[in-house]
Amino acid sequence: MSDKTEITPAAGPKDLGARRRLKVPESAALIAFLLLEIVFFAINSPYFLNWANWVNIFTALSITGILAAGGTILLIGGQFDLSVGSGMAFVALMFALAAQSMGTIPAILVALLVGVGIGCLNGLLVTVVGVNALITTLGTLAIFRGLTLSIGGASSVRVQGFDWAIVRPLFDVPLSAVLFVVVALVVAFVLGRTVFGRRIYAIGANENAARLVGIRTKRTLFLAFVLSGFFIAITGLVSASQLGSTSGTTGVGLELAVVTAIILGGTSLKGGVGSMFGTVLGLLIVGVLNNGMTLMNINSTWQQVAAGTLLILAVSFDQLRQRFLRN
Amino acid sequence: MTAPAFVSVRGIEKAFGQNKVLHGIDLVLPRGTVTALLGENGAGKSTLVRIIAGDHQADAGKLEIEGEETVFRTVSQSRNAGIRLIAQEIADAPPLSVAENIVLGSLPARGGIVDWKATRRLAGKALADLGADLPLDARVSDLRLGERQIVEIARATIGSAHCIIFDEPTAALSDAESKNLFRLIERMKRSGVAILYITHRLDEVFAIADQVCVLRDGRVSLSSAVSEVNHEVVVSAMVGGKVSSGKGQYKHAPGSGDVLLRTRALTSPFFENVDLDVEAGEIVGLYGKIGSGVPEFASSIFGASPFSAGEVEVHGNRAAYKHPSDAVAAGVGFLPADRASEGLLPARSAAQNLAAPSWRKLSGDGVTVTERAERSAFDRWRDTLRIRASSGGAEKITTLSGGNQQKVLLGRWLEANSKVMVLVEPTRGVDVGARQEIYQVLRDLARSGHGVLMASSDYEDITEAATRAVVMVGGKIVTRLAQDEISVERLTEAAGGSIHV
Repeated sequence: MSDKTEITPAAGPKDLGARRRLKVPESAALIAFLLLEIVFFAINSPYFLNWANWVNIFTALSITGILAAGGTILLIGGQFDLSVGSGMAFVALMFALAAQSMGTIPAILVALLVGVGIGCLNGLLVTVVGVNALITTLGTLAIFRGLTLSIGGASSVRVQGFDWAIVRPLFDVPLSAVLFVVVALVVAFVLGRTVFGRRIYAIGANENAARLVGIRTKRTLFLAFVLSGFFIAITGLVSASQLGSTSGTTGVGLELAVVTAIILGGTSLKGGVGSMFGTVLGLLIVGVLNNGMTLMNINSTWQQVAAGTLLILAVSFDQLRQRFLRN
Repeated sequence: MTAPAFVSVRGIEKAFGQNKVLHGIDLVLPRGTVTALLGENGAGKSTLVRIIAGDHQADAGKLEIEGEETVFRTVSQSRNAGIRLIAQEIADAPPLSVAENIVLGSLPARGGIVDWKATRRLAGKALADLGADLPLDARVSDLRLGERQIVEIARATIGSAHCIIFDEPTAALSDAESKNLFRLIERMKRSGVAILYITHRLDEVFAIADQVCVLRDGRVSLSSAVSEVNHEVVVSAMVGGKVSSGKGQYKHAPGSGDVLLRTRALTSPFFENVDLDVEAGEIVGLYGKIGSGVPEFASSIFGASPFSAGEVEVHGNRAAYKHPSDAVAAGVGFLPADRASEGLLPARSAAQNLAAPSWRKLSGDGVTVTERAERSAFDRWRDTLRIRASSGGAEKITTLSGGNQQKVLLGRWLEANSKVMVLVEPTRGVDVGARQEIYQVLRDLARSGHGVLMASSDYEDITEAATRAVVMVGGKIVTRLAQDEISVERLTEAAGGSIHV
């Protein structure tokens, strides 16, 4: 034995975080922008700050938000799911058809199985076969949209006796909005506090390194796709209940709204960075903008222009900020 | 030498920031001559040839081409003067065909339209000169590494090359391919091309070179005709008076600890019949240069890449890991060779990087894990490993220096309580001070009963920290050295050992 210490852990923690630097959270700019929007619309519309209006904003976000929760997990892990919109329509159709022949409860099971099945299919193709996630889910997007149109036909299929999502048990808030908030909280917990969440971040940061620290990367990503499929099932049920019917055009373009909100919320396209809190901010920025523009009687077609512009501005701003930080 | 010098450099100096790499290099490359350039890692070989190839600019000194002073600002200026560098890292266009890759950068064309006939003719001739039988229409991405190297070489011979620089070309080549390459070099030499050949293989030097130039710490330590020197002269020029620093020496008597890791006849396409034991308290230095199969062997033990035959035992149990997670569960830790692409989780904090293999353990309930648990895991090892980072390790791992990053990656396996450590290139990209600290950590690891397998291409790792050395060449173990037999000379001599020619 010579001069040096043994390899043993040091005694208990000292000055925990004492030297941690004060840093501006990355979401600060998003919060500032959201507040700006709120102030602007509050000045321009007397109804904007009403409780009922905020309930509207959250209700309108519920389907996009639940899908974005699954999408956030995937994108942090460096993956994509573009099949959410058509998957949701397919689940809703399967539910409606099953409800007509078997009754509501078995139909709910069918819906869950179909949604999780879509997730398994995507996950299998990406992690086992090794097809790029963008290509895989672009393919399944087309397949399930096509199936929905073929099986459902041109007219919409009615859903009866299934209006739970529009029930407002407390404070005039419909259950769909409550469900969105619950899903967001659960996913925030999963990403921030669980081993699974940590592994997702690690895989997104460097899949190679994640494998070499003993993480089953493929298994973990497969599970993330299945989760996304589960959320597809949930939104299929929400949609069928909200609309009281389902058709071939249900949820068209939803995947873009989902991806817009996630990226706006600061999740990196390269993976490894992002949070559910950021995604909720992204959802609110778009949701508040749409709601405010409606209150100001601006044509809804312009809302799409605004959302697209916002996305590009936000990402450009982030690029410039990173370049500035590096220099 | 009466032949006219094609390239001649005088007093070349180069520094990267504070770090002076070349201190006045003189080198003359006459037409029709093969010059071997040798030197250990970091001696300045790559920097020197990059200056000649126009990739770097010298800070001082002059470069003459056929007696005329020249400055190359870009690679293409150097190319136009007839100089070609075949770098170690393959820089090809994998989705394109063999023919297209060979004429890459000088695609024959008439009025902007590609002349495919001429392309095939040129490429075919270049391959025939190399004695290589590769299909011209095959995609380069479908070729073996060695075959891609041949395509690289063929590309360098296209057009009017007057000087060709090879940077360790035989590392990925088979014996037969190497022999064909040597024949090509001989023909090019006779047609008046000046050849500079970087290698660490002494056998190659004496087989093909006319003159030899050895660099050590950025200076020329030997420049002579090959006929006037022998192995010992070259080796001592490479290593100089270097002896181990003897700081914090740690001794281990073989046979005094339990065997923690044992391989028997382990075989894969990269190595063959490797038998190796690592005991508790032992630091086995596995030394091998490029093409030796050393890093591939290490990653096979960990289950990161497969082996085709043979056995691995860890703690006396058969261990054929299908996935690194099996190895981690069995108490094996692994430090990969390339820190950036295989080791770090770049967007995450230092604490998370250290805790990554242990998340489940830290969670207690197996499901949830808190930042507090990660912070205290980080603090458990921060002082022991002397990691210069804030308490709690909340900063991003990428803000730490190379040496501190490496210590965090070592800390991973201490927290995971791994008893067997497989470390590949543990001091790569680490500055001098941190290097000594890492050696100290390895000795402390051994002292506390870990078994360390240190796979390295840097002799200093072996001479400083190893209690036993094993040298591999071309995928086979060629030499085993006890602790008191380890010397820079022995290692360099063994790693330059002959397997072909």
